[in-house]
Amino acid sequence: MDMLGYLVNALTPLNLLLALAGVVLGTVIGALPGLSATMAVAVLVPFTFTMDPSSGLIALGAIYTGAIYGGAYAAILVNTPGTPSSIATTFDGYPMAKRGDGGLAVSLATIASVIGGLFGAICLLLLAPPLARVALNFGPPEYFWLAVFGLTLISALSAGNTLKGLIGACLGLLLSMVGVAVVGGDVRYTLDMPTLLGGIDITSALIGLYCVPVIIDLVATRDPHLKIAEGDRGTRLPEALRISSGEWINMLRSSVIGTVIGILPGAGGSIAGLVSYSEARRSSREPEQFGRGHPGGVIATEAANNATVGGGFIPTLVLGIPGTPPDAIILGALLVQGIRIGPTLFNGQADIVYTFIFGLLIATLLMLPTGLLMGRYAYKSIVSIPKALLAPAIAFLVIIGSFAIHSNIHDTYTMLILGVIAWVLERFGFAASPIVLGLVLGKIAEQGFVQSYLIGNATQNVTGMFFGRPISILIIVASILTLLYPFVTAYLAARRRGGGLAGADQAATPMKYRDTGSIVLALLFIAIGIFAITGTADMTPLGAVFPTTIAFGLIAFCLLLIADHLRRPRAPGTLSSADPAATPASAWRRATVAAALAAWIVLIPQLGFAVASALGFVGVTAIANHDRLSPVRALAYAGVALITVAAFYALMAQVLLIRMPAGLFF
Amino acid sequence: MRFPFLKLAAAAALAVSGLSAALAQDKFPSKPITYIIPFNAGGESDISARFQQSVWEKHAGQPVVIQYMDGAGGAQAWAQLNSMQADGYTIMGINLPHTVLQPMMKNVGYQTDDLTPVHYFHYTPNAIFVAKDSQFKTLKDLVGFAKSNPGMVTFAGSASNSANHLAQAQFDALAGIKTTYVPFTGTGPAVTAVLGNQTLAGWNYAPSGLNQGDAMRMLAVAAEERMPAFPDVPTFKELGYDLVGGAYRGLAVPKSASEEVRKTISGLIAKINADTEFRKKMEAGGFVMTEVTYDKMPAFVEQKKAEYAKAAELLGIKKQ
Repeated sequence: MDMLGYLVNALTPLNLLLALAGVVLGTVIGALPGLSATMAVAVLVPFTFTMDPSSGLIALGAIYTGAIYGGAYAAILVNTPGTPSSIATTFDGYPMAKRGDGGLAVSLATIASVIGGLFGAICLLLLAPPLARVALNFGPPEYFWLAVFGLTLISALSAGNTLKGLIGACLGLLLSMVGVAVVGGDVRYTLDMPTLLGGIDITSALIGLYCVPVIIDLVATRDPHLKIAEGDRGTRLPEALRISSGEWINMLRSSVIGTVIGILPGAGGSIAGLVSYSEARRSSREPEQFGRGHPGGVIATEAANNATVGGGFIPTLVLGIPGTPPDAIILGALLVQGIRIGPTLFNGQADIVYTFIFGLLIATLLMLPTGLLMGRYAYKSIVSIPKALLAPAIAFLVIIGSFAIHSNIHDTYTMLILGVIAWVLERFGFAASPIVLGLVLGKIAEQGFVQSYLIGNATQNVTGMFFGRPISILIIVASILTLLYPFVTAYLAARRRGGGLAGADQAATPMKYRDTGSIVLALLFIAIGIFAITGTADMTPLGAVFPTTIAFGLIAFCLLLIADHLRRPRAPGTLSSADPAATPASAWRRATVAAALAAWIVLIPQLGFAVASALGFVGVTAIANHDRLSPVRALAYAGVALITVAAFYALMAQVLLIRMPAGLFF
Repeated sequence: MRFPFLKLAAAAALAVSGLSAALAQDKFPSKPITYIIPFNAGGESDISARFQQSVWEKHAGQPVVIQYMDGAGGAQAWAQLNSMQADGYTIMGINLPHTVLQPMMKNVGYQTDDLTPVHYFHYTPNAIFVAKDSQFKTLKDLVGFAKSNPGMVTFAGSASNSANHLAQAQFDALAGIKTTYVPFTGTGPAVTAVLGNQTLAGWNYAPSGLNQGDAMRMLAVAAEERMPAFPDVPTFKELGYDLVGGAYRGLAVPKSASEEVRKTISGLIAKINADTEFRKKMEAGGFVMTEVTYDKMPAFVEQKKAEYAKAAELLGIKKQ
């Protein structure tokens, strides 16, 4: 059968319906932080047993690609990556939404996701066997350097505040070491709590670090969550198309990066997004706008993460090595059907593979209309829901999401604790993103390092292992470029203005005052660093080398920060870290909402999920409400609360089959 | 609201069956059983459970619902098993050597003897793999090279202190060689390292040999006899090394489950194991079937505990 025949196969009404339903379901699941493509795909596997293999594959692939795309909604509208793949979408997507360009950002994300997804799927269609070799040439040293490259993004993300960014990264790296090290087997920093053996879950940390501060600030004022642009223009598709065609190089480069990183088992969409974001920023003519709502940032991340879908299927189908967790489930589903994945698949069962790839292409195309429609709806509802309902709804979602990852309430505690810490740190200029980068990249960097060292040591060529391999050298050069680029451009700009580097710094930033809070925090972090170093006493040398290095780095950066602050003049007033809020922020609301979230989580195992959530929902509504409530309105709010809780309870317990804590009620 | 009904159903089932255990098997289950996998979806535990799921309803009369509860290499779920409903409608996957090694090394919230496995239904044997173009054609080549170059042979395997890692330590001792074990974060990355010649060889599970076709060569497999899926691959025993083992997978129930429930679940799994369609799929997938039923369990677990304790000494594992 020729290609046209496979295309016709993929176009049967059933396959089209499956692709459409899969994309819609996937988008919804992806938009809800904590609910992942892995879960949705896993639930649907039994249904595919009785299906034609290629139809089953199309349904699973559509859900997968939809979920990666849907993650952008939460990233743009509530500053929380719906899946780890859209971490870098928050950098510019949320600032865009804040200033009233949320609809535009959603449209850009949709266009970029479709283009990236198509690019990845076309590579899968045409170039799968040769591209699979990329996965094989990427060894432990390359993974190590790739993670280092990702970390260099910190220098760009925290421009003007580099020390605090570096400190945040060290904290994130230390957090990533908690638990049993898969490589080496050391048990590290678990404080003797069995629940910490599994480490800090990245998704629950993401939800906490990004979303809890949003909730805390949301209830504090009566200002709307997002600014609504004058005469709201909805999704602003023509404008989005114009911007996208202006960013076509960015789009193409990000799609290539996404496809290649998708091919690497163990890297994944989050790294693809971060790397292409970093590259987009470096090659942009206005890099200083990145992080403040530059459309190019959204485009780069979303094109790259959807390209990883097609890329991830390349090693799965060609080598039998799943590129990502959903790939692994799909591989299992095929095995149960008696289909042998691997090198013979493309020849022996070509009809299944090519029908599936065409189905994936169709599903990706369907994302354009469904995405624009759903994105419009998501944006409208976020801006039109009254704050007294928006805050509890987001709170409910973060609790659900962090619980659902492993049906484990401890992940929810971790989420809240990290979130409150992130809120405090943000007040003193320590942003969440460097911590997240450290957390996401730490394990990959350490594992790559330890594996490279073990192999290098066995072959008596440690230096060659790290610095002598062509791909490694390429990544090292790119890292150095990224690291130095901001300084070089600043220097050149200063030269043009006729001053030195120091002069430029002073001209660019207002007078800096001493900040006692930052000094206190730095002292606290030094204590953490010392604890981390003393904690390595009973570890194996390989398990200790990474935490020790990072802890020393942390202490050094903190000492520099303290010295820098002591050098500065005292602030004239007492408000050293005041933020210019539009309306006076309410401190008691902030404190009570954090306490209410904690009470909510504690009550879940006691009362059961639904009952505790209904109570928690009402409680947060009361805190977030700044107006007098008429009885009718109060009743309406209560109704919405009940319906929301019931709907999500049903989704989790009955549809996604997540184990719910029993408790007293349900 | 489900609980009274549940208790009623269980009581009714018990009352009706009364004396005859065989009769009880016919009445149970009266609703879907929840089967918890203590790992993420997509691994061997999940795949073998999915194989069971595809024939489950035929034997149980009710479908099975698979749920996941991953964390800390399975420990998170096993630590919670005994607090779950013990009526037989909640069962959990259980693995060896995990449930012996984990409590040996650290406080994981459970002890090996706290868990109640009722049936171990298969294992995936350890095997040594090399890439197609490797200089090692046979196990003898590899052992010879390792003897003259101590430490130079690198093995990619899945995780530290895992079944792969145990096998490497056991084989080093048996063959009198010294090799370097390089842990990876799972079967996938470890196999990729072997295929990409990042390491000279790999200690992996036998099913890995199926997906890669002739891109990888299996030098020997740690099974009792040659596997149907790999008729040309010799066992370690044939080659003179007494090495049989891998990752064993079974089903466990909460400790408070009655003898009745334990036997019923064990019997159900045994019935599924006897299904020819299921066996054929499992064996073609590189799994080796085992029939460790509930009555054989105490002896089996004791034997494995002794074996792993000895191997753990080789790895230098001690409680931290």
